[in-house]
Amino acid sequence: MLELAVQMLRFRKGAFVATFAALAAGVMILMTCALLVESGLRYQGTPQWYAGAVAIVADGELTVPGPELFGETESTTAPLPEGGRVPESLVATLAAVPGVAAAVGDHSIAVTAPASPGTPVTGHGWGSAVLAPYRMIAGGPPRADREIAVDARLAAGGKLRPGDDVAVIVGGAERKFRVSGVVGAAAPRATVFFTDAQAARLDPNPGSFAAIGVLAEPGADRAAVIAAVRAAAGEARTYVDGRRGLVGQPEAVAARALTVQAGSAFGGYAAMIIIFVVAGTVGLSVRHRRRDLALLRAVAATPGQVRRLILGEVGLLSLLAAAVGVPAGLAATAWTRDQLVTRGFVPDTFVLRGGVLSALAVTVAVAVVALGAAWIAALRTSRIRPTEALGEAAVERALGGQVRIVSGLVCLGGAASLTGLTGATGGTTALGAATGMLYLFVLAVALLAPWINRAAARLLAPVLRTVWGSSGYLAAANLRANARGMVAVLTALVLSVGFGGAVWFLQDNLQRQVTVQHHEGTLAQQALVGSAGLPAAATARARKIPGVVAATGVRRTSVIVPNRLEAQAVPAQGIDPVGADQTLDLGVRAGSLADLRVSTVAVSTTQADAAGWKLGDDARLWLGDGTPVTLRIVALYDRGWGFGDVTLDTETLVGHTATGLDDHVLIRTAPGADAGPGLADLANAYPMSAVVGADRLSGELAGDLAVSSWLNKMLIAVLVGYAVLAAANTLVMAALARTRELALLRLVGVTRGQVKRMVQAEQAGLLGVALAIGSAVAAVTLSSVVHAVAGVRIPYVPALGAATIVGGTIALALVATMLPIGRVLRTPPVEGIGIRE
Amino acid sequence: MSPSAEIAVSVERVSRSYGGDQPVVALAGVDAAFRRGTATAVMGPSGSGKSTLLHCAAGLDRPSSGRVRIGATDLSALSEKALTELRRTRVGFVFQAFNLIGALTVEQNILLPSRLSGHRPDRAWLAEVVERVGLGDRLRHRPAELSGGQQQRVAIARALATRPEVIFCDEPTGALDTQTAAEVLSLLRSVVDDTGQTVVMVTHDPVAASYADRVLVLADGRIVHDMPQPGAEAIAEQLARLGRRQTVATREG
Repeated sequence: MLELAVQMLRFRKGAFVATFAALAAGVMILMTCALLVESGLRYQGTPQWYAGAVAIVADGELTVPGPELFGETESTTAPLPEGGRVPESLVATLAAVPGVAAAVGDHSIAVTAPASPGTPVTGHGWGSAVLAPYRMIAGGPPRADREIAVDARLAAGGKLRPGDDVAVIVGGAERKFRVSGVVGAAAPRATVFFTDAQAARLDPNPGSFAAIGVLAEPGADRAAVIAAVRAAAGEARTYVDGRRGLVGQPEAVAARALTVQAGSAFGGYAAMIIIFVVAGTVGLSVRHRRRDLALLRAVAATPGQVRRLILGEVGLLSLLAAAVGVPAGLAATAWTRDQLVTRGFVPDTFVLRGGVLSALAVTVAVAVVALGAAWIAALRTSRIRPTEALGEAAVERALGGQVRIVSGLVCLGGAASLTGLTGATGGTTALGAATGMLYLFVLAVALLAPWINRAAARLLAPVLRTVWGSSGYLAAANLRANARGMVAVLTALVLSVGFGGAVWFLQDNLQRQVTVQHHEGTLAQQALVGSAGLPAAATARARKIPGVVAATGVRRTSVIVPNRLEAQAVPAQGIDPVGADQTLDLGVRAGSLADLRVSTVAVSTTQADAAGWKLGDDARLWLGDGTPVTLRIVALYDRGWGFGDVTLDTETLVGHTATGLDDHVLIRTAPGADAGPGLADLANAYPMSAVVGADRLSGELAGDLAVSSWLNKMLIAVLVGYAVLAAANTLVMAALARTRELALLRLVGVTRGQVKRMVQAEQAGLLGVALAIGSAVAAVTLSSVVHAVAGVRIPYVPALGAATIVGGTIALALVATMLPIGRVLRTPPVEGIGIRE
Repeated sequence: MSPSAEIAVSVERVSRSYGGDQPVVALAGVDAAFRRGTATAVMGPSGSGKSTLLHCAAGLDRPSSGRVRIGATDLSALSEKALTELRRTRVGFVFQAFNLIGALTVEQNILLPSRLSGHRPDRAWLAEVVERVGLGDRLRHRPAELSGGQQQRVAIARALATRPEVIFCDEPTGALDTQTAAEVLSLLRSVVDDTGQTVVMVTHDPVAASYADRVLVLADGRIVHDMPQPGAEAIAEQLARLGRRQTVATREG
């Protein structure tokens, strides 16, 4: 059967091109997603720092038991947004473990070096230099509190030599040091070394270390040492081998999370669309070859053999598609990786790893989808009796059974019931909800398409007749008679319009929501922004400036909340509640921000829904460093997108964020008061800070968002592109399959012009229906998701975007139909009529 | 020879109706037996049920009631798969058009049934069949490169390749000119005369029917005439009479 399948493929290349293109593009997209996930999972940061330690004890992740689903408790492990801490006392415990030569506590302090401002710098105590064997290039180690050793990168950037004076910003204040020496190492970040005592003082979280490195005694049994360390570490985690690289490198952990999440989420959405497209194209190609298959049945082939033939063809096509799609996917992933590095999403130590596993998984997945679709299509073709097949090949079958109409209505009902969905918080979750809903809608349209087409044909017949005359009459008749054959075309068009309209605009809406909420919720006119962080004293100092009514220090962080489905890190802010009602309007629905204390919390209404919290409840959550807290909910507010879903008293966060500093201070001045000089002084008092209009804060936020949504938009664009490719594919296939029919029309006296006008009229009818349904689907999906996540009834639709979708669909339909029809019309009709279908 | 061994195909009280709400009766209790080594033409006006009779007799379609046997095998007891296997080993087909798979060469088309049944083709027999239909130099060509008559000859060769007990033809010359039709019909005749195979052929052409040993005429799903080869003119007259009768019946109705 396989040999026969090969021959069929070779002979009917044209008919298989569409299926092949759909499969190959699908493989490419899935390959990209899978490779991102695989590389993310294999990515371990740069293990050079800590290369000298046999094991690192730290607390970088939090494992939260999830809710009980179907009797099983699945736990979620999330990286700690602010990095975890281990207590100082653990050093002695670990040092006492047999076989351990030394346990060295490592402080990890955020430092800004004005001499080379773009380079992120980490400060350590000199004692931890043994963890990553450092070479002394010049000078010596820091011996006094006012001495530091800098690494070669900083030395080159700031032209520093031993003995030079250098200013660095630590804890929001500038400090002067003398360079004691220059060290060299292949650490992922630029490094400065303080004396151990100084490092302990500068650490914003005293009494703890970021990590503890364990050095083994020479000749000790490594495995035994690690096991003993693991036992002694208690709740803290022990990292060995490549995993050491993830400790103390938040950007590596973030890169891992980003690639794994984005890759798997989009892989899932892509898979759903690919199932649609592949099923549609395979079904259509089988449909167009029914006469061949019927003949095979009549002459000698059992139903099983016909099925195997179709499966063989599609299986071979999937393999071919994998052969093209996998290398294309590799190239696409390489490009994506470069873009991610350039845009600062992932460090440039992030490399693509593996691929064999991804390629295998993707090939199998796509082949399974294609074979499944082929199986269903083949089942229909091979189940019917050969004579029915011989007759039916030329005549359209009835619209479809009751099963079809019932399942269509069930899908429609399911999609409609999803419109009431609530509790979606993150952008990814919203995207997931939208995609799920869209999928059901499109499935419903696909199932109900024969009836939709027939109803539309009936409805549009008078219009088409009026506008196009006798061509319009023929077009209406074709639409009605071919209601079943146009199912794939209608579905593909609705899919691309619906997908483009809903998911792309959803991204716009979410971004806009953030900016608008932040803008509307900021009552302060000015803000002090410090790129190296601002100490809490800055807020106090701002309040003393004449003309300043209120000042609120804002500390951005993330907290982990136990949402119904799984624990999730959500954006949060810590504020100084005194006078916050003058600078911030979070849109409080219930309760009052005035009650915000160390023991209380305010949450957004969406977050409250997602976690099942009510006003007055005790909310259990984890701060950014993994510390569990139970806080009473004193306020529910609307503007979660603009300000984060959780608002805490800054006091609650003390000792639980990496820097211990505020990001900005919102400043409200009295009307008419001239606080200018006072504010200028304020900015001068804190290094690398500036007073800006509060509007610019919103603007910068929008800018950051545009950058961070790049990956989402790029992947969405790819998916929309895929849907469009599918639509074009089905249109071309449908057009080329009409050679005989059009030849016949011309033989009975319809002119070329009339045929063209007839096709145009059909297109206009089909497009009108597809656009109307697609827009309706997009509108319902978009508005319900936007309403659920942002509380806004009417979604924001950029005019240019809407025009692009409508114009693009029309252009697509015209190009993908009129060009092939033009080609068909160039063959003389007598030849055309002889061509076998 | 026992009577059942002499009969290649028999249909007993076969009825077939189509459709749901207002069923159309295509065959109304037809009895017929086709003897081995004979050619039978089945004739009748459009809608008389002649194609349905052929499809039922060949196991392409299942009758609503009644029984069909090919040789001693009762088709009504067979599954779809068994029916297909019977078709490809014991029955051959020649249709009016669209007989061949475009993707396959002439040789591959001829060998298709044996290939599908997984049997090794009998090369010597194949050579003889090809020789007989006169396609020796065309084996590597594709159907699109052949004339209509040549395509029908390929179809006949395919029908012969498995040495079937009976060959069913549905308007085998319907799409051919007179000269080519005569060639194809002679070929079919020689199959009966030289190899002793059985041919059942649906046709509306009296000339084609004149190549048969026996002519069955159907009208409204029943056999109205069963005559041993009466010659083309007599057939034409019978058909014409049938046509007039129908016209009268329509007027009266």
